[in-house]
Amino acid sequence: MKLKKKTVMLATFTVGTLLLATTALADIASKSGYDELKDALKVTAQQSSETFDSFTLDYSLALKDNGKTLTSNNETSKFDRLKGASEGSSSGVSLMGEKYSSQTYSDKMTMIRVSDGDPTYYVTEFTKEREDRSFTNPFKEDRADDLEKIADAIVGSLKDHVIVTENPDGSKGLAGSLSELQIPSLVNAVASFQLKQEFNGIQTQMPHLTKDVFVKEVKGTAKVNKEGVMESILGSAVLSGKDEQGTAHDISIEVLVTMKDINSTTVTKPDLTGKKVVRNIAQYYSKSEISNPEKFVGKFKNDILIEKDGKFVKVGQRFIDITHMENKLVEGRYYEEYKPGFEEYATSTRDIEFSAQFEKDQRGNANFEYTTESGGKGQGNLYIDDFHGKVNFNLNNRNQSPRGGMMFDSNFTPDLD
Amino acid sequence: MAVFQAALINEIEKLYKKKKVLVAVLLSLAVIVIGQLAIVGVRSGLGLRGAGSLEFPMLVLSVFVNTVLPLFTALVAIDSFSGEFTQHTMRITLTRPVSRFKIFCAKITAIMLFILGALLLLLVFSVLAGLIFNTNSATLDSFSRTIFSYIVSLFPMLVLALGIVLLANIFKSGITVFFVSIIIFLTFKVLGLIFSQYSSILLTTQLDWYNLFLVNSFPFAKIVRQFLIMLGSGMMLFTTGFYLYDKKEF
Amino acid sequence: MDKVIEIKNLTKSYGNGRGINDISLDIFKGDIFGFLGPNGAGKTTAMKIMTGLVRPDFGDVKIFGYSVSEEFEKAMENVGCLIEIAESYQYLSAFENLKQLARYYPKVDHKRIDEVLELTGLIKFKNEKSKKFSLGMKQRLGLAAAVLSKPKVVILDEPLNGLDVEGMIDIRKMIRYLTETEQTTFFISSHLIHDVELTCTRIGVIYNGKMLNVESTHTILKNYATLENYFVSEVERNGRVPSSID
Repeated sequence: MKLKKKTVMLATFTVGTLLLATTALADIASKSGYDELKDALKVTAQQSSETFDSFTLDYSLALKDNGKTLTSNNETSKFDRLKGASEGSSSGVSLMGEKYSSQTYSDKMTMIRVSDGDPTYYVTEFTKEREDRSFTNPFKEDRADDLEKIADAIVGSLKDHVIVTENPDGSKGLAGSLSELQIPSLVNAVASFQLKQEFNGIQTQMPHLTKDVFVKEVKGTAKVNKEGVMESILGSAVLSGKDEQGTAHDISIEVLVTMKDINSTTVTKPDLTGKKVVRNIAQYYSKSEISNPEKFVGKFKNDILIEKDGKFVKVGQRFIDITHMENKLVEGRYYEEYKPGFEEYATSTRDIEFSAQFEKDQRGNANFEYTTESGGKGQGNLYIDDFHGKVNFNLNNRNQSPRGGMMFDSNFTPDLD
Repeated sequence: MAVFQAALINEIEKLYKKKKVLVAVLLSLAVIVIGQLAIVGVRSGLGLRGAGSLEFPMLVLSVFVNTVLPLFTALVAIDSFSGEFTQHTMRITLTRPVSRFKIFCAKITAIMLFILGALLLLLVFSVLAGLIFNTNSATLDSFSRTIFSYIVSLFPMLVLALGIVLLANIFKSGITVFFVSIIIFLTFKVLGLIFSQYSSILLTTQLDWYNLFLVNSFPFAKIVRQFLIMLGSGMMLFTTGFYLYDKKEF
Repeated sequence: MDKVIEIKNLTKSYGNGRGINDISLDIFKGDIFGFLGPNGAGKTTAMKIMTGLVRPDFGDVKIFGYSVSEEFEKAMENVGCLIEIAESYQYLSAFENLKQLARYYPKVDHKRIDEVLELTGLIKFKNEKSKKFSLGMKQRLGLAAAVLSKPKVVILDEPLNGLDVEGMIDIRKMIRYLTETEQTTFFISSHLIHDVELTCTRIGVIYNGKMLNVESTHTILKNYATLENYFVSEVERNGRVPSSID
């Protein structure tokens, strides 16, 4: 009897342990529809940024109020990863009811933009090859892992709302829908509040929902081909509510993204012959380096002013003579010249040779140390402002103490005369 | 069976005679009232609907299974074991012609009935409040899903109760049991957030498993897996808890 | 004579060195057995093992032939007991407390509950919560609980604890009455020698966890002037041996 009780207990415990262990393993191993969706997105992003030579993305969005279209937008983007080129066209109807369309083209050296209303081709030319930015993998961004975890936690128990159907050819269909009952009330409240604020904010054409706003339904379907690449994803959501007059509105948003012509998309540069073209040269491109640094070689100047008898009087000029400039280094001379009659201000005339290194990752910013003729030492800072074509020059001990009413100006403009 | 019945009736009577049940009822109603007030506030203040007539019971459930219900389950379970250990009243039953196994089962059953009662009470009141105060959005399907969600919440709560009973048979003082339970509960919650891919094996995640029954496609395999995980852990907790209880000297 | 309780080689030791060592004892039908020993001799330990509250390290107790550790329900079916302090559920009335126990015995009805309340003089406090009871009243309630099911064996651990003189006399009367009318067997522990002498028909002396001797009160009183003399001589004779080792 005693033995039997112990045996039963031990058996129950063992069965429980096995049950827990095996199902837990099976559960961890089994992928929810949500996991499949995530995998498909990752594969697609990875393939399109690293494997596919070219592909086309179609994107369309429609916003409807009780079935009446408020705004729509269609975009087609073609990417050629090998050439680093992309081509896009966008068309649609704005909230104001106006139709619009535009085309863009971009490769490593140029960017071209043209729109319906204005047949001018705006061309931006780059002085240096740009990095290939046709398509970057969002899952490789910093903190993507953390964001994924946060998303997982938020999705939580909704993971199982995504249903997977496997087709005989190896492709998969993913579908999910959430009705108001299935959306957690808190999520629903936060989402509807966000959407309500957004809709009621700027667009006067939108029906203003003021009462009983809630997310009625969220739906989505996706197709994944047998390589695991997502070929299309369709999402829609319905926001329901009443306006001031008490009229009920169902505002629906539909978004469809499809991916097609993998490896068979061709990106063509628009033919600009005979077209009205406005060209401009990109002033900058890289974050940390100045393009065409040699353009800064030359003289920069500003006026030395004093205030006298309630007027500004020019007593001389400051000069910076840049003799050499490249990506990492700038060299030159700083000196001051005084007009006749004002030599008394030149008590501390400086004539400084400088050679400054650009600080890493700080575009145009350089520091240097100098020795004056009289042997004094000091530090200075130079900032090349290539947006405005100016040079900012500071000698550290100089800024604080204006002498004899002399005004200080660290801003130098090119001396082009 | 008659002996077990007697033990069970005794446990229920003790539960009922103590003020705990009354407090539980009042607190449940308070949750509903506060929830309903919050919804009304959201509706008039922010212009949101907040919750429809059937979303309200679901909202109440989602709050309840993660807060008030585990708390009361813990209190009742601790009282039923630790309370009787420390007051030596456990002896009263133990010296009667009833085996420890039956007493243990009767206590667990009583706790289960308490949880079930709390859930049903909450269901009735939240549905009533939902119907009276909120925009009607009920369909037969959503209504039956609501009822189902409440009923199935019993399973994870029972596993939770078994876990607390095990702790009550390990630690001497009820207060220790209570705090250890809370720490474990919170740890599981945090673990579930950090390792969300493994969270389905944690009891704290299973408290929300009723959501699976709301899925349109009815994810049968997932439900079975979750059920088996709960069953497995329940069996382990039950046998370990009983083993310790059976060995105990009074 | 029918063997009612059969204790065989019962051994249980606690960490602090206390406990009982190899106790064997038979109790027969109609006995009022007095379990006599000083505080800490192991009386309560032995009785806890007899009622299943504590598991023995070795040995077994059989009541009506059923082992307490293996066939607990059957063994306890005809046993009523009161171990150490009489406990009751504070939030229940005297009646409700007894009602709780009555559920385990199909034959016990409300009338029987009233009967035992009458027998222990608690009928006036039937519906009062036991929280308000004095120590003596709690003890009476404990005794009422012990005899509630008309058990054939009653095991009482220090039943006179907390009772006043009147209470002691009542309880003694009750014990006699039950033995005479219902042939109930009693197993009573006490450290009050005088009390045991007045109540019990057979006496066993336990000292330092060991059973020293079992003899009928009649025989003892034939050879010794009082039970106290017998107890002292027994302890002298046997007890010195282990204590000299210390």
